[in-house]
Amino acid sequence: MNRIVTIAQNTFRESIRDKVLYVLLFFALATILGSKVLGWISIGQDIKIIKDISLAAMSVFGALIAIFVGATLVYKEMDKKTLYTILSQPMKRYEFVTGKYLGLVALLGVSLIIMAAGSTLYLKIAGAAIGLIWFQAILLIYIKLLLITAFAILLSTVVSPILGALIVFSFYVGGHATDVLRDLPPQFDGTRAKQVLETLYYVIPNLNLFNVQSEAANMVPVTWPYVFYAVAYGISWTLFLLILACLAFERRDV
Amino acid sequence: MSAIVTHDLSKTYKSLGKATVHSLRNVNMEVQENEIYGFLGRNGAGKTTAIKLLTGLIQATKGRAEIFGEDAVLPSARARIGYLPEHPYFYEYLTPRETIAFYGKLRGLSKDAIRKEWLRISEMLFLDEFADRRIRGFSKGMRQRVGLGVALIGNPPLLLLDEPMSGLDPYGRRMVREIMLRLRAEGKTVFFSSHILTDVEEISDRVGILVSGVLAASGRIKDLTAGAQKAVELCCSGLKDEDVNAITARGIECRRGEEHQVTFILPEVAEAPPLIAEIQQKGGMLLSLIPVLESLEDFFTKLQQREQNPSGKDGADHE
Ligand SMILES: Nc1ncnc2c1ncn2[C@@H]1O[C@H](COP(=O)(O)OP(=O)(O)OP(=O)(O)O)[C@@H](O)[C@H]1O
Ligand SMILES: [Mg+2]
Repeated sequence: MNRIVTIAQNTFRESIRDKVLYVLLFFALATILGSKVLGWISIGQDIKIIKDISLAAMSVFGALIAIFVGATLVYKEMDKKTLYTILSQPMKRYEFVTGKYLGLVALLGVSLIIMAAGSTLYLKIAGAAIGLIWFQAILLIYIKLLLITAFAILLSTVVSPILGALIVFSFYVGGHATDVLRDLPPQFDGTRAKQVLETLYYVIPNLNLFNVQSEAANMVPVTWPYVFYAVAYGISWTLFLLILACLAFERRDV
Repeated sequence: MSAIVTHDLSKTYKSLGKATVHSLRNVNMEVQENEIYGFLGRNGAGKTTAIKLLTGLIQATKGRAEIFGEDAVLPSARARIGYLPEHPYFYEYLTPRETIAFYGKLRGLSKDAIRKEWLRISEMLFLDEFADRRIRGFSKGMRQRVGLGVALIGNPPLLLLDEPMSGLDPYGRRMVREIMLRLRAEGKTVFFSSHILTDVEEISDRVGILVSGVLAASGRIKDLTAGAQKAVELCCSGLKDEDVNAITARGIECRRGEEHQVTFILPEVAEAPPLIAEIQQKGGMLLSLIPVLESLEDFFTKLQQREQNPSGKDGADHE
């Protein structure tokens, strides 16, 4: 346990130095503040649009951090050979993978808190009412990031960061489009493609489940059971992907 | 108990589109406790591969290795190993002090123990002069010292050092040599690889010689060179140039020194007495007669030549 914490702390510390992080955080905050401009264009819709764009920015920029930092996480240590002295310690491989994961997830938590605090403050100043749904939406974004990070770290144990980032990005896009896969147009009926795409529907986690942004923008509450279900769904997928990552790394030559 | 035992340890690298490489073939090796074991081999012989197998960084294709009787793939075996990689890389943004603390934590040491380890290790390797500078700007020698420091954390009974002296200046080499001797005096086992023969010859109790992934020889340097020819160097003075030329004309090697000193090198001791008589008869004076053992270097070179042009049936199979 101590070893996991040590690795996690160090990963957190290291990622904080990552320039990508600053660039993304900067853009996220800029987007959140820039939504004011959009607010002017659509008069009267101000608050709704600011909420919508803020949440979208948290989701997208959070995912970008998860993808770009996550996909390099283990690979970089193999590439730079820092792994030699770490894995030759009396530590288990899964402790290393888990530590790396927790370090990045902690960093994502902090980033999300910064973005959320920024946009909440901004909304308060603009005189917006903020309900429970606003925070539920942010929680679900975080759960989604946990899942994406787990997938990114799985890939970083087996492929190079560029390929990994591309795959995770497709996963991200695909995960938001699973409904499309299920509700295929009739042209696909009976084709091989339909089978493949339908299978994909079942094997790709449905990331839309975590998306309650429009509810949050429109102040439409969602039920707690829904939130719990989404959290449980996200955590299950996350654990599954993390276990895969640990297994993939267990016997790998470094 | 032996510190290291390997049974048919083999590693084959297969990768798509590339030739299969047999980095290590059926290596059976035993390293006793409290000895310094030098692991020799030229570039690509498989030294690093063997050491990485011992630390569990890579998986053996065949065979296994034991560290103090425990399978090398187990974390508990690693608890008894201190490892210095060939090119030690650490987190560049940490200082040596933080690096030692980081690895100390991974080894499960308490804060207090880590502080004590820092004092012990920094004193041993003179890390104090750059204790709080980031590793980013460090020279090769400084990195090597940090690497050795990391290997020493927790006082492990077995040290696996992959080319500990490479890239170091004479001063640094001496420091590393002294540390290895000190570790042996403390009862530790030191296993180190090198292709610098004199370093190995000087301090190893035993050596293993790896040729293209095969352990070609292993044992005490004395025993390995026992069967070797013992040449003699015969040093004399007072000979005239034409007399020296007459002797070298018969195919005897010679070195000319200062003040008309000449050293003849004879491949066999038996050839010495007639030459001594001849020198004395010509008015020369014998200064010294020294038997020289074939050095490990010559031995090593011969092994390699034999491996490269195997005349007749020679152990290793070439696939
Ligand atoms: N990851 C790898 N994939 C493929 N081949 C490898 C790999 N690592 C090592 N080899 C091959 O294994 C052989 C032995 O390499 P190794 O690094 O063990 O040699 P070495 O004795 O340490 O050499 P050096 O003195 O240069 O450090 C070489 O032919 C090398 O190309
Ligand atoms: Mg090597």
